[in-house]
Amino acid sequence: MNFREYKIGARFFALALGGSMTITLLMPSFDINNVSATEVAMDKQLWAGAESGFNLDDPFLLGWHKPLKVLLKTDPKTGQPMEPTYAYVYEKGTTFPGGVLHPDNLGGIAKQLSIEKGRIKEASKNVGAVFLVKADEQKHYYIENATATMGWTPEAVEKAAGDENTLHAAAGKTLFVREGCWWCHTLLPEQTQDWQVFGAPPMLGDFNGESPTAFGSDRKAPDLLHVGSRNASKEWMMLHFFNPRLVQPHSIMPRFDYLWGPVDANGKKIDFPKWRAEYNEYREGKRITPPEVPMYARNSEIRSLIDFVLTLK
Amino acid sequence: MSWRFDAPLVTLSDDATTKKNETLWETEMLGGLTEDNNPVPAPVVWLVFLTVMTAFCVTFPLWGQRPTAALYAPYVNSMDKPEVLAAKDDAEAMQRIVAMNKGTSNDALLERHPLTMDDLRLIKDQVKALEAKHVDLRDYTVVGDHVVIANFEGNYRPDGTRIRQQPWWDKGYTIDVFYLSYFFLAVFLMIKRLPPTAWQPRHGHGASH
Amino acid sequence: MLKYLMAKNEDIPPGSAAVYFGFSAITWFVIGTGLGAFNAAKLAFPDFVTGLEFLSFGHMRQVHVHAVIFGWISMAFGMAMMYITPALGNTRLWSEKLGIWNAFLWNVGLSLGLTVLWFGMTSGREYSDFPWFIDLYIVAFIAVPLGINVWMTIIHRRTQGIYTTNWFFGAATFMLIIVFIVGNLPEYFHLTGLTEAYLTWWFAHNVLGLWITPVAAAIAYYTIPKVTGNPLYSHRIGHLHFWSVVVFYSTPAAHHLMSAPLPEWLKSFASVEGVLILVPAIAFVSNILLTMQGKWNMFVENLEVRFTVTGCLMAIPLNMQGGFQQTRAINWYIHGTGWIVAHAHLALLGFSTFLEAAAVYLGLQTIMKRKLYSLTLGNIHFWLLLIGFTTYWVSMTIAGLIQGAGKIYEVPYIDVVIAEHPYMIARWIGGSLVFTGNCIWLYNMWMTARAGTVVPEGRMPHELAYER
Repeated sequence: MNFREYKIGARFFALALGGSMTITLLMPSFDINNVSATEVAMDKQLWAGAESGFNLDDPFLLGWHKPLKVLLKTDPKTGQPMEPTYAYVYEKGTTFPGGVLHPDNLGGIAKQLSIEKGRIKEASKNVGAVFLVKADEQKHYYIENATATMGWTPEAVEKAAGDENTLHAAAGKTLFVREGCWWCHTLLPEQTQDWQVFGAPPMLGDFNGESPTAFGSDRKAPDLLHVGSRNASKEWMMLHFFNPRLVQPHSIMPRFDYLWGPVDANGKKIDFPKWRAEYNEYREGKRITPPEVPMYARNSEIRSLIDFVLTLK
Repeated sequence: MSWRFDAPLVTLSDDATTKKNETLWETEMLGGLTEDNNPVPAPVVWLVFLTVMTAFCVTFPLWGQRPTAALYAPYVNSMDKPEVLAAKDDAEAMQRIVAMNKGTSNDALLERHPLTMDDLRLIKDQVKALEAKHVDLRDYTVVGDHVVIANFEGNYRPDGTRIRQQPWWDKGYTIDVFYLSYFFLAVFLMIKRLPPTAWQPRHGHGASH
Repeated sequence: MLKYLMAKNEDIPPGSAAVYFGFSAITWFVIGTGLGAFNAAKLAFPDFVTGLEFLSFGHMRQVHVHAVIFGWISMAFGMAMMYITPALGNTRLWSEKLGIWNAFLWNVGLSLGLTVLWFGMTSGREYSDFPWFIDLYIVAFIAVPLGINVWMTIIHRRTQGIYTTNWFFGAATFMLIIVFIVGNLPEYFHLTGLTEAYLTWWFAHNVLGLWITPVAAAIAYYTIPKVTGNPLYSHRIGHLHFWSVVVFYSTPAAHHLMSAPLPEWLKSFASVEGVLILVPAIAFVSNILLTMQGKWNMFVENLEVRFTVTGCLMAIPLNMQGGFQQTRAINWYIHGTGWIVAHAHLALLGFSTFLEAAAVYLGLQTIMKRKLYSLTLGNIHFWLLLIGFTTYWVSMTIAGLIQGAGKIYEVPYIDVVIAEHPYMIARWIGGSLVFTGNCIWLYNMWMTARAGTVVPEGRMPHELAYER
């Protein structure tokens, strides 16, 4: 075998690897790119924002520059009561999600409607924008830029909704990624019986614009894709995050009490060592009730995480 | 250095052997001092053949795991039969429904996905509505109290809609057939192009020198 | 070692890069398995070390995974390449200095990368968790220099042919670069949705299939003939192995997402290809075991052969699992359960680690011209690794089957957690045994460098009797 054989070998190697990548990457990419975003995908990318993993807008995954999902009960311009509507608020400087930046990502009719009726191309990062998910008469969903169509500014919408109707779900998803929740909780119900417990499986177009999808692969805990539909109790979530064994004695989930930050909702310093000591007494049977879990502050990280979990419908 | 990088052949051998090995190493074509030119053993060929056969057989959709609407449609349709309505309670009604619908190819699946009368009542209207639309009920999955379109992205129907079922044969298998044929053809040609197995160097274990 | 960073290439003793890589690899192995045992303790005892964000499971798990994959396994590969590639080309390493810099930048980059992951700066994509700047660093300062050194050494060889091991080394370093560039496209170009999910698993599958599996096998192709003195059984089976790795192992990425709504044809294709990874496995195992004929006594007597053959035997259950667990018929039962965790450890801690440990044992002794300090400690290392791994694998496989059954019979999730608890404790014990073994190994290797008997000129270390 002289040198020529190795030249042939190298070419065959390129052919084999190239062929494999053509079949496994190029060919499926046509199928996947042809898919239109569903209503689920539009909602999800609008509340989760452009990127929940590492990115330059939020390099330390602290929830910087994230959109808000708000429930509007009054018209932010007129102040008149209106049909409750979810709006997605992108303050100045917040990067828009994939579908708004690249309408091709929405695909087909959704792209056309979003541009023509929804005027998403007029949205500008420099002033911020408010988006809605709308449907036309034929039930075709599209994204509407309410700042362009109705003149709703991010500030007015936030004010009209009020803090109690604001969900920091995007910052919460960032925490979901940062704190490694997805190492144990999947976001993809498996086939069959799993669906009966954890809810309907997602469809092909349900992920457009979402990054990372964070399906998870090693499930040591329940699937969370539809957790907000199973359990919508903020109080339960609060206890469960502070110390899962308060509500589920056999849980192996870590405590996330450190996400409360230094102070509680009243601005009072949380005394973690004291809480843990009292909890240990309770566990040893020296106390009848566990210590009270402090109510979290409005701007604490745990608030975003709970908002995120409750958004997973 | 015990093992000289510019002369890795230096081992226990005397100089003459080292010299001979060096010549062999630098001229032989198979790529190394420690490589033999044995044929591929027949059991290995058979194992590879068996693997290919198994690969196709085991990946065919031999059984569907998902409870489709088609599975429960006969149950739903039996709900209004007089003998079911005459049952004294739900448990007995369900027993009758099950007994009535035995003997189809779905028996095993139905056994794995048992329902109660309450479950049936929840999906009854949805299944009836789908039947009225004359869609293929196997495209729908029953998830709890919902009948939803299955998330299979299967083959296309002539009208361009997707078949929401695990396909028996699809583009993937076709690609596999060609992909494998090219591979085995190429490997066969290459192995045949190698020097005959009687060709030196041979380093022992029983082969004739 | 650091003094050689600025030395002239000619002044650096041959093999220095390999030694640097070798000791770095063992150190990362100790760190990686230590983290693994710590994480396992947290799963077994959830209130063990609590309330500290940076010691929480979610922050530590990926550090464990990346410390063992890119620290231990990949640096052991670097070590093997630094000394096997030139040996098989009957030449010197192309650039010893590049090798030293490579190992240095590897340690720096990996420390940085793991710190970043530890602090939660992650892409949120399994196995490609590193943020994109670390990915680019890995390509530019880890994978490419390694590849250049390997390719240039092969080109400058003084032999006619290229030995099987070097085909794999040359090809795998190239494929690693491709996998890192293509697999991380979602981060560079912000791809989203199923494309992102699919590429994540394309990366994860191929970093194992096109880097770890072939290089580990290539190492066995060197150690077994070298130590036993038998020539590799067949060049022809070597061809079958090499080409089937490239053709079959690179394709089944979609089988990681069998329950996601990917196009069915892609799953069908991937599933058939997934079974076909048995082809390279059959070729590899048969070639190595046939090479052993007449020398099976060394399986008992020689530490390197024992490690290699044990790893090679573990390739059999590994590939039987890997081939069949991904088919539609089985995947729905075991996907996402502890079974998969057991399988991943069978691949990395069983199959591949045992092969690399042999290469590191053999390489460090040959290059440092020192006989292994203590066979007893070596044996303890072997058995702690094997028993620890087996405990882990058996317990996680059982836990996985419990989870699978729980899934199928719609058992309330918490009951599954309770049922798994004993196995979580067993997993922690297994992991701790492995960690202990590695600490002993590091000591043994350190003492070999300091106090091992000098191997005389012209001898290989395995020709000398063990002393302790």
